[in-house]
Amino acid sequence: MFFKNSLGSPRGPALMDMLQSISGLILALFMWAHMFMVSSILLGNDAMYWVTKMFEGKPIFGKGYPILVSLFAMFILSLIVLHAFLAMRKFPATHRQYRTLHKHLGGIRHTDSYLWYVQVITGFALFFLASVHLYQLIMHPADIGPFASSDRVWTGRMWPLYLVLLFVVELHGGIGLYRVLVKWGWFMGKDPKVGRKRLTIAKWLLTVFFLVLGLMTLAAYMKVGYEHQDKAGERYEPAQYSQLHSASQGGSH
Amino acid sequence: MQTIVTDALIIGGGLAGLRAAIGVKRRGFTPLILSLVPPKRSHSAAAQGGMQASLGNSAKGWGDNEDIHFADTIRGSDWGADQRVARMFVHTAPKAVRELAAWGVPWNRVQKGDHSSVINGETVTITEREEAHGMITARNFGGTAKWRTNYVADGTGHSMLYTMSNQAIAEGIEVHERMEAIALLHEDGRSQGAIVRNLITGELIVYLAKVTCIATGGFGRIYRVSTNAVINQGIGTAIALETGVAKLGNMEAVQFHPTGIFPAGILVTEGCRGDGGLLLDAKEHRFMPDYEPEKRELASRDVVSRWMETHIRQGHGVKSRFGEHLWLDIRLLGKAHINSKLREVKEICQYFLGIDPTESLIPVRPAQHYSMGGIRTDYRGESPTLKGLFAAGEAACWDMHGFNRLGGNSVAETVVAGMIVGEFMADSLTSDATLNISSAAIDSQVKTVVKELASYTNSNNTENAWQIIEAMQSVMTEKVGIFRHGDQLAEAVTELQSLSARAENIKVSDNSRGVNPELCAAYRAKKMLKLSLCVASGALAREESRGAHSREDFPLRNDRDWLKRTLTSWTHDNPVPVIDYEPLDVMQMELPPGWRGYGGKDRIDHPDTAARQAEVDSVQGGADDRFAKQQTLMPFTDCLPAPFRGRNARLSEESDA
Amino acid sequence: MNAATDNTIPVKVSTARTIEFSIFRHNPYDDTSEPHFETYKLEEADSMTLFIALNEIRAQQAPSLQFDFVCRAGICGSCAMLINGRPGLACRTLVSQLPDKVTLMPLPGFELIGDLSVNTGKWMRGMSEHLQTWIHSNKKVDINALEEKMEPEKAEQIYELERCIECGCCIAGCGTAQMRSEFVGAVGLNQLARFKIDPRDDRTDADYYAVVGDENGVFGCMTMLGCEDFCPKELPLAQQIAYMRRAMAIAGID
Ligand SMILES: Cc1cc2nc3c(=O)[nH]c(=O)nc-3n(C[C@H](O)[C@H](O)[C@H](O)COP(=O)(O)OP(=O)(O)OC[C@H]3O[C@@H](n4cnc5c(N)ncnc54)[C@H](O)[C@@H]3O)c2cc1C
Ligand code: HEM
Ligand code: HEM
Ligand code: SF4
Ligand code: F3S
Ligand code: FES
Repeated sequence: MFFKNSLGSPRGPALMDMLQSISGLILALFMWAHMFMVSSILLGNDAMYWVTKMFEGKPIFGKGYPILVSLFAMFILSLIVLHAFLAMRKFPATHRQYRTLHKHLGGIRHTDSYLWYVQVITGFALFFLASVHLYQLIMHPADIGPFASSDRVWTGRMWPLYLVLLFVVELHGGIGLYRVLVKWGWFMGKDPKVGRKRLTIAKWLLTVFFLVLGLMTLAAYMKVGYEHQDKAGERYEPAQYSQLHSASQGGSH
Repeated sequence: MQTIVTDALIIGGGLAGLRAAIGVKRRGFTPLILSLVPPKRSHSAAAQGGMQASLGNSAKGWGDNEDIHFADTIRGSDWGADQRVARMFVHTAPKAVRELAAWGVPWNRVQKGDHSSVINGETVTITEREEAHGMITARNFGGTAKWRTNYVADGTGHSMLYTMSNQAIAEGIEVHERMEAIALLHEDGRSQGAIVRNLITGELIVYLAKVTCIATGGFGRIYRVSTNAVINQGIGTAIALETGVAKLGNMEAVQFHPTGIFPAGILVTEGCRGDGGLLLDAKEHRFMPDYEPEKRELASRDVVSRWMETHIRQGHGVKSRFGEHLWLDIRLLGKAHINSKLREVKEICQYFLGIDPTESLIPVRPAQHYSMGGIRTDYRGESPTLKGLFAAGEAACWDMHGFNRLGGNSVAETVVAGMIVGEFMADSLTSDATLNISSAAIDSQVKTVVKELASYTNSNNTENAWQIIEAMQSVMTEKVGIFRHGDQLAEAVTELQSLSARAENIKVSDNSRGVNPELCAAYRAKKMLKLSLCVASGALAREESRGAHSREDFPLRNDRDWLKRTLTSWTHDNPVPVIDYEPLDVMQMELPPGWRGYGGKDRIDHPDTAARQAEVDSVQGGADDRFAKQQTLMPFTDCLPAPFRGRNARLSEESDA
Repeated sequence: MNAATDNTIPVKVSTARTIEFSIFRHNPYDDTSEPHFETYKLEEADSMTLFIALNEIRAQQAPSLQFDFVCRAGICGSCAMLINGRPGLACRTLVSQLPDKVTLMPLPGFELIGDLSVNTGKWMRGMSEHLQTWIHSNKKVDINALEEKMEPEKAEQIYELERCIECGCCIAGCGTAQMRSEFVGAVGLNQLARFKIDPRDDRTDADYYAVVGDENGVFGCMTMLGCEDFCPKELPLAQQIAYMRRAMAIAGID
């Protein structure tokens, strides 16, 4: 039977633990990839446009199918739901446990324990913030692009949500990745204590990098959105159709 | 009052108690262990250096066997030991190591090929045999002819105790933790259990048992400067004394370890010197070769400790605000060695001295370390006077250490004694031991205890128990220490007596339920004072120097008058113990008295020594194999329980054969 | 210049600070006792450890004060407590390394015996019985015969993990263990890892899975890492838990 392993012990705990890490890992890696793609706006509207179309499957089908984005977003959402469901088991369950935990964290002054709690809180926030974002994308998969996105960010007043989401997700994903590695003992090197120190440093460097990239990206969207607010709703036409030469300078200024 | 009944009550959850319990259990009886603390916290855990057993696997131990181990042990004891018991011990020790190996102790193993090692301050290369690769290895320890001390880095006792305790858990042996035996129950010369105080609730409990075994370890805490754990107060020994029936043996034989860190007294292992560490004085001069050209830092403990104190007296000590001390230098062993094989030592230096021993010298001075004396038993571990009362381990004096025990012989003794005594307890349970004590006897003995405990809360009392204990410890350290003198010893006895009188007047201010530490200190103070008086009186009476007992007014070992074991007993109203003696028969000795090979050469011989030596020489000169010779000189195998009689296999003997 | 040539022992020179100890007091066996903190003042002395300080406080100011010391040398694991909120061994904590105000509390997660004394022994025995922390072998031991060989490195590796002193700091330092009393904690997982790498133990991964393959076992660990950071023996606990987790994950789905 599926629920038991070959020796009759329940598989559940092992499976759930692995799925939690796998889902977290995929999500965190996706977030980084996502950040690079979204930040294509920094290279100009054309770059962003190109990325969007690629996602809609244009390079393969010759034409964009926004439904693909919708489907992909649904996949990600279900991963989040799975991940969140698995993670929720780890949340303090009762009022008593919360009290114990707060007392514990208050006393021991221990970074990694704090970080765990940061994950719990950011995870909880993500559940709502990410859902809003993803709901929007699932419902309006075609509304992605240099102008559509920027309009949503600026005119659609989404930037405060993104700002929060950015911090929350980068913290959560960064800490989460570090913890996945320590949890399974990967990349720890010869001396695991030294390895852990190295990983902590790497983790913070990456988090800072992605936060800076994210803030610049958000600023770019806001700028484009601000400049485009009068024409909000209008879709971007890639420069290459009209003015081949200025394409590379794009609409980023 | 709660009453608990069991076959064998084992008081003490250290190595000795645990192993004895396992033995009893495996023979189908029910043992029950009492311990002041969780067994794994017993002081056996503190043994860093190692366990002696003549496996002879390592290059420097090659050719070792029981005979050599035996001779080292007897020389170490300064001929004070019971030679038959020592024989039983050296024969069983390899079995003990091998049993522990099977149960899980990760003994360090021989690594084939060349190794560099520090011997006598110089780095030498030792080549380990190919065929010994992976066998249990050994390090050097003081007072031994071969490298015989098996070890697990510097956590030997810890590993042994954890393994043993886990084994006891595996066997389903019940341990009642945080229980203190404060009186033995007995009637008509038969021991029948104990009255026990629960150190959580403060309640008294009666434990009834057909046989009782005391394995409560040493009593070093009667001294101020001691390497012993704070629970090593000797209460188990004291309650045996307080029966008035059981006797204590050789209480004056107290060992001082050369390297207690100064001033805390925490031990750094003999392994430091065994592995090549040196003792230096204020001028960083290595002084031991001046006194002991042959054995240097590795003469037996009593000898090294005495030379250290002598050297300090001659003005070569390092002066500090706490007094004078000497240096232990292990820097020459190198970082790698210290970080792996002597890590506990390093930790102790870091935490308690704030120094790094790979770079700095360690301040050391001898500190009380081991109690050779204890509850007198026969070779079976049973008290000759109080039937059904057994003792094993450091608490006992079946007498394999005489007046000085060798490093590494003690944890070996605990396990061996546990093995042997466990079997004999089971034998006794099989044959004659019964539970046969009248309720009147129980009642009256419980009443005595209750009355004593209640007496401390008398509002007229004035004395502070901790102050009395401290005063006692100072008397012991200052007047019954490494060098002893009749005048000082007499003073000590008087002072201890007056402290005992004051102890009658100890006040316990708090009377709420629970363990009540003040009350604990009160009754323990009285018991410890009795032990101190046994030590001091025995030392005063013994007018010779032997092993660790060193009298400045009687510097020679005197076999003629003092080749005998001191026995102390205590009748209830006496202010001091009653002392009598038990002779050691030279004509039965396999190794007649002689020079130890270190320390003073002069002595007063026993009249029988020459005759016995001649007998021994003629047998030794014969053509028989070593087993036959040994058998002729001093048969012992029949004394051992049947499971331990077999011969020990040895790599070196197999390859030589 | 090395320590020897300046002829002093390297202890801190007295600053004669007065330290204020705020100590948790409660005797659960006394119906009139309520948990509270009491303050004691003590003058600091050279190389004073908490072992010395507490004994002095008890002998002079608080005769009923309960605490546990055995070896007073940092090797037996008796004296773990919360020192200014963090778990540690009191006997090897030098007062000179602490601020002027020191708060001492009993180790959380264990049954309180009184004041600073907790029943770690009972907890550890329960853990040992549950996880069966002993060698499981069907081989008959012949104690007269030569011992079985073992690679020297293997023996050292086992000892590395066996250095645990069951002090309970890893339980007190672990949020998971604090929240869920059934969790075996780093101490249990490390001990099983010790047997798992021991060639003398016949147990298979499936056997281990049966005892730690659940939320109270290795999958309950949420990698908070307090265990490793507060372990006074500096055991590589995170690494051992990871090792068990990998093995148990595979054994579990197998
Ligand atoms: C620092 C140090 C290092 C040492 N190193 C070595 C070494 O390297 N090699 C070596 O061979 N020897 C060494 N020794 C000596 C050796 O460790 C001890 O002699 C030996 O471990 C004693 O074991 P035991 O079982 O007799 O008693 P312990 O291990 O002391 O156990 C005594 C037990 O009795 C219990 N107990 C005591 N009183 C009572 C009571 N009244 N009621 C109930 N229970 C009670 C205690 O709780 C404990 O469980 C060392 C000793 C010290 C102090
Ligand atoms: C398939 C899934 C996803 C797609 C296609 C997608 C797409 C996008 C796009 C196009 C933007 C630009 C702004 C906009 O158009 O509104 C954006 C921004 C953002 N998304 Fe997503 N997203 C996905 C999933 C997620 C998830 C799961 C999270 C976090 C939990 C997330 C967090 C963010 C954040 C923080 C921003 C703002 C980034 C910034 O400007 O710095 N996204 N996303
Ligand atoms: C885009 C979204 C998310 C990403 C990238 C992400 C990533 C991760 C990662 C990598 C981990 C470490 C996994 C492990 O330790 O095994 C993790 C753990 C965790 N996640 Fe998320 N997560 C996301 C969403 C969520 C959500 C929505 C929640 C909350 C409901 C959540 C709650 C948690 C919690 C509590 C943990 C800790 C689990 C543990 O310690 O075992 N996460 N997350
Ligand atoms: S693992 Fe470390 S912290 Fe935990 S009980 Fe063992 S020694 Fe103490
Ligand atoms: S602190 Fe606890 S959660 Fe795991 S890593 Fe250590 S056991
Ligand atoms: S008293 Fe033994 S570790 Fe502190």
